[in-house]
Amino acid sequence: MAVLANSATHAHTSEQDHEAHLREEHLMLDPRPRGEMNAMVMESMQTTSWKFWVAAGIMAILVAVCLFYYWGYMIANGLGVAGVNRPIYWGIFLVNTVFWIGISHAGTFVSALLRVFKAEFRRPFTRAAELMTTFGLVQAGLSIFMHMGRVWLSYWLAPYPNQRGLWPNFHSPLAWDFLAINTYLLSSTMYLFLPLIPDLAMARDRSTGWRKTLYRILALGFRGTEGEWTHLRFAMNLFAFAILPVMFSVHTIVSWDFAAAMRPGWSSTIFGPYFVIGALQSGLSAVAMVLIVVRATMKNMKYFIRPEHLDGLGKLMLIISMSWAYFFFNDYMVQWYNGDKWTDALLHFHEEGPLGWMWYAMLIFNVAVPWLTLWNKNWRRNPTLLFTVGLLVNIAMWFERYIIVPTSLSINRFPFTYQFYKPGVEIPLTIGTISFFILLYMLASRLIPLVPVWEVQEGQMAHSLRKFGKETVVTVSDLE
Amino acid sequence: MTDKNMLLAVFSDLDPAAHAVEKLRELGLGDEHLNVISGIPITEAMMGRPHQWTNVPRLALGGALGGFLLGAYLAFVTPTTYPLNVGGQPVIPGPPSVVVLFELTMLGMLISTFVGVFLDSRFPSYTPKEYVPEISDGRIAILIECDPAQEVAIESAMTALGAESVKHAEAQTL
Repeated sequence: MAVLANSATHAHTSEQDHEAHLREEHLMLDPRPRGEMNAMVMESMQTTSWKFWVAAGIMAILVAVCLFYYWGYMIANGLGVAGVNRPIYWGIFLVNTVFWIGISHAGTFVSALLRVFKAEFRRPFTRAAELMTTFGLVQAGLSIFMHMGRVWLSYWLAPYPNQRGLWPNFHSPLAWDFLAINTYLLSSTMYLFLPLIPDLAMARDRSTGWRKTLYRILALGFRGTEGEWTHLRFAMNLFAFAILPVMFSVHTIVSWDFAAAMRPGWSSTIFGPYFVIGALQSGLSAVAMVLIVVRATMKNMKYFIRPEHLDGLGKLMLIISMSWAYFFFNDYMVQWYNGDKWTDALLHFHEEGPLGWMWYAMLIFNVAVPWLTLWNKNWRRNPTLLFTVGLLVNIAMWFERYIIVPTSLSINRFPFTYQFYKPGVEIPLTIGTISFFILLYMLASRLIPLVPVWEVQEGQMAHSLRKFGKETVVTVSDLE
Repeated sequence: MTDKNMLLAVFSDLDPAAHAVEKLRELGLGDEHLNVISGIPITEAMMGRPHQWTNVPRLALGGALGGFLLGAYLAFVTPTTYPLNVGGQPVIPGPPSVVVLFELTMLGMLISTFVGVFLDSRFPSYTPKEYVPEISDGRIAILIECDPAQEVAIESAMTALGAESVKHAEAQTL
């Protein structure tokens, strides 16, 4: 009898341990009162150390010097101060455009796709990801304006009735770019704002001074009536479904800027999906990096962003890395096989030319590093390691765009025009866009609730522990 | 001038709030006299409330149609004002027009969905409204429009069902 009692006690304790472990592991099973979660998010926004302001100050100086001063310098002196010249008319500005559009993809992917598929682990970090979309697109837009040179004439791109009867040429992928990027920028900003309204109302209810005024204006008078939630819920669902094809179209159209040209290395039918996967590759890695920084530097974020979230993102990064490798090989294989001598020369130039190291680094960081690390659960949950992998993947993806744009333009069918690209003012301007992205994100993290508290609470309501025989398992109810 | 009073019953949990809606109906109050206010989206079915009407789907459809027509104008009409020969393509080419039509249809639909939320919810609205900040702390409030004679019965029924507070709803600046 005593043995049986001991055994029963042991089983009970082990079961309690298992339940405690599940609660510690999953945010959705570890609910706190809504008021407490609200207070935690408000505190994370309002608590700033001197280190934050030093970092923000450095970023602001970098933006002022590298972005505004050098851009002004280029406007005053013309595009000649940049390295773009025959035969390389597309340089780092377009590398950065493609790179930042890629970064912007992850926000929508994480938020919309995971919302459509009801992936519950998305809940605490959808907004942090969506912010990346908007701020990434801002940098992409700035890079396009830099590339234009005569930015004051940029309104010529817009389709509007004018005296001369001239309209943009809708045969051109560049005109499609204008439509697609603007559609994506507007849609992703609206998609960021809609789920933010209830959190702005929450912030309004517990703020004073200028913050109260700001949140009062932005919350638009939201109270949370049945009607308001119904309209909002329908709109958010529609956005989640509709913004995905827009997201895919944007990077596909960006790829057509290259693929529609009859150039070795560019003319490829696989470029659309290859670019989309590349965008997700860099974007997801950037989301992981941002979440790790937010978790480490902002107060109370360790409650909301847990190893389970890093684990989920790490798995996605691994899957996307494998997909990228597949598309890369597909593109490479067909170009290698077709035997065209100019394409063959270009492939050799990529691998054995002066920037061959970049080509190999691209493959190592994009494929070898994620595959060798992210298969391991413990490593995926290690913030330092995941951040390092994310950083290397982003460096690799920037290299990939560099290889596609200026490196591929260096050699062509006219050997007498071969030229090596030497960037000039592009380097400080690149530093400027990176700093501007970080600065915008830092400021937003102090003004906008980064965690959608109402979504977290909704998720916590839907989750519970249930016993199947002797096993306690996590169950999720569909509340919609 | 209405001679109706507005009461605000605040509940800490969903179940008592749902029971309260049922009780209010038993007391003779129609659904049109009740409104549930909450800090998270609670479906009508959970509260036993009638389905809420929204115009957002129709507005989205209208926006998509408008965007499609604008796209059609840009793709099919504007090229005729200044015909350009691009790589031997027709002046009004097929596949590139699909791109323009797709982007503008989606843009029209998404903008009208966004605007639809504003129109249907009457956003922005900064006039004073019946509200308590506890709602965004997770409370569920029922806004009740009733005859003054019913007030006492409603108040005692709500309190019996576990309401944290039942008081006259005062419009306040949010």
